[in-house]
Amino acid sequence: MSEIIPEVSKDGLLDLGKKLFDERRVDYFLGYKKGTVRFKTTPLIAGKGEDLQELWVEDFCHANLSLYLKEIKGRVGILAKGCDSRSLVSLIKEGQIKREDLYIVGIPCAGQVDPGKAAKAASCEPEEMEEISRRGQEFVIRANGQEKILSKTQVLLDKCLCCQYPRPVIFDSLLKGDYVAPVLPAARAQDDLRKKSVSEKWAFWSGQFERCIRCYACRNTCPACFCPRCIVEENMPQWVSPLPAGGDNFVFHLMRLMHVSGTCISCGECQRVCPMEIPLMKLNEKMTDDLRELFDFVAGVDLEKVLPFRTYRQEDPQDFIR
Amino acid sequence: MEAKPETEKKEKNWEPKILAFLCRWCSYAGADLTGSSRISYPANVRILRVPCSGRVNPLFILKTLRSGMDGILVSGCHPGDCHYTAGNYNARRKFAILSRLLEYVGIDSRRVQFSWVSASEGDKFAKVVSAVVADVKALGPNELFQLPDFGQMTKGPASPDP
Repeated sequence: MSEIIPEVSKDGLLDLGKKLFDERRVDYFLGYKKGTVRFKTTPLIAGKGEDLQELWVEDFCHANLSLYLKEIKGRVGILAKGCDSRSLVSLIKEGQIKREDLYIVGIPCAGQVDPGKAAKAASCEPEEMEEISRRGQEFVIRANGQEKILSKTQVLLDKCLCCQYPRPVIFDSLLKGDYVAPVLPAARAQDDLRKKSVSEKWAFWSGQFERCIRCYACRNTCPACFCPRCIVEENMPQWVSPLPAGGDNFVFHLMRLMHVSGTCISCGECQRVCPMEIPLMKLNEKMTDDLRELFDFVAGVDLEKVLPFRTYRQEDPQDFIR
Repeated sequence: MEAKPETEKKEKNWEPKILAFLCRWCSYAGADLTGSSRISYPANVRILRVPCSGRVNPLFILKTLRSGMDGILVSGCHPGDCHYTAGNYNARRKFAILSRLLEYVGIDSRRVQFSWVSASEGDKFAKVVSAVVADVKALGPNELFQLPDFGQMTKGPASPDP
């Protein structure tokens, strides 16, 4: 982290990006641009200052850009929301990227809008929505010439509702704005499933895993999944059958979860991209809660703290062992 | 051939199949001692020798469950006794997370069990195995997954008559 924190205004962002290119501090700049579909953004990968013209920061910056660092070689300037910055910390700790290769620009985030969810709450089709805007603590959706007022919980991505780090944990510059979590910790929704019986849990999850079509979108979009060759594609020996059947889907999802534990920062990308709308974040949340409870570990917050599965304590809990 | 596992499981005198991952230095030797001390224990357990409990990848456990084994036992050296100094400490962390996750997705924690058995604890090994077998018997057969009927899948839709 640099000692001086230059605060940048939204207009200043473009100049900052150009300056980084001019001073040859970065080879690429990762940001967002307007998507071809309304209320969506696409990642912008700029290779020179002029490419930055399309740069756009609004309420729809869903993607976790740290994913693209796998592919990009060289020094990179990157926009990071609070959650994305934790991904960066995780990847630095895993040795996937180097801190000195990054120029991180923190962007304010008060929760990202989930257009699908908003449309459902406003009982209209996503294509019918004309405008989604903030009004104080609420959202106004204009669709079919009518205005509807919705609450944050109805509009924002699920992961944003349990956000704990709205302010980036590492950055070189910070964009001006409010860095506040959309929902206060006390008001956060609890996962009711955890209180249910084992058979009820299985009834829920077997139904969810049954629906999985094994498109691997969750894996491909996950910044924490960085193996060059994934074990699901291994066929000598074949650990997981590629058939999208309940049993192998169970192995795949739990294995994926074990692989990202300690690196997963609950950025929610897996659930967002899931075409079958499987609530994968429930699993991730459970795992991160367990890591915090058992090993006092929170992923992507502290650059110094050793990853949970790379260390141990003699007094680690072992009440489950005979 | 297709329906055989089903009928087998529905039989009254069904016996659970348990896969035991035993660490080469402690639990495997402990199981050996159980035998040489002529202590009897249920024959439901199939033993798989691993170099260390730290060698047991969570994937092994998931794959075993998926392949229809009724119960799993992972056993290693007591904390502090690991031949590789810290293998069982590392394993303990993985298993703590895994067993909680399995519980969360609805797999009874009695199906996947862990224990520390040293090379001198032949009697403890017999006790652990008996307890695991009793637990799994109470749970019933592992019917979590319907194994796909590969015969039917390869057949595909009936081809139209030429």
